[in-house]
Amino acid sequence: MEHTLDVAAELKNLAVIRHFIEDSAKRLGAGLNTIEDLIQAVDESAANIILHGYKGRSGKIVVEIRKEGSALVVCLRDQARPFDPTRVPPPDLTLPLEERRLGGLGVYLTRQLTDGMSHRVTSEGGNELTLRKKIR
Amino acid sequence: MEIVVSQEQGRVPVTVLHVKGDINTETYDQLQKQAEQALQAGTRYLLLDLTEVPYVSSYGIRAISHVFTLLKDRSQDKDVVSKGLRDGTFKSPYLKLFNPTPQVLKVLTTAGIDMFLEIHTDRKQAIASF
Repeated sequence: MEHTLDVAAELKNLAVIRHFIEDSAKRLGAGLNTIEDLIQAVDESAANIILHGYKGRSGKIVVEIRKEGSALVVCLRDQARPFDPTRVPPPDLTLPLEERRLGGLGVYLTRQLTDGMSHRVTSEGGNELTLRKKIR
Repeated sequence: MEIVVSQEQGRVPVTVLHVKGDINTETYDQLQKQAEQALQAGTRYLLLDLTEVPYVSSYGIRAISHVFTLLKDRSQDKDVVSKGLRDGTFKSPYLKLFNPTPQVLKVLTTAGIDMFLEIHTDRKQAIASF
């Protein structure tokens, strides 16, 4: 079973996306820890799409979540300029806080809290980010 | 998000920012501004009470980092701070965190915040630790 949400790419809709992931993941049989990690990962990814992908321009984000075997798979699709977050280098966490570059932490958290992250450019020239999280 | 500001007295006066709600892309600036106001009012020691914070995003981490930097820059012990940052032993004596939820704690430690900030679970001990 697949659950889909189609929302305008606006910061105020991040809460809608989080609630959608929480409700859908529960229905698909995920436990609390899995759900919380997935909410964080999807929220970080969606925020990046809104802030850095669309950069304030209007657009939409389609969030789809489904179960594949013993994992939940979330796809985020947008029509922003192509950008592959899997290529973003991780922040240097050994640096003092004020020396760390501001960007990259959201992608880093997404990578750390999920079991797989992949990206492709869609046929419409936008992005599809796929996150995989084992159900625990 | 709501922030309730209170003052407590340990060995030093401590300003407590009791945050209620998510610290995320939409609300992180509010936390930064509240902390800046406290500093402008003379606060030197700040405890961030995260008891009622169910979610902290990377922007929330950014806000905490900003407050850390503000308080560090006001330190009169700049040599001690610099040395501690260089050799990885520095934990801020000016900003501490209290009672994050397990998920928020997981995010804070994944982001390496616990390397620079003490995280307390007992409020009296937290105030006394300054």
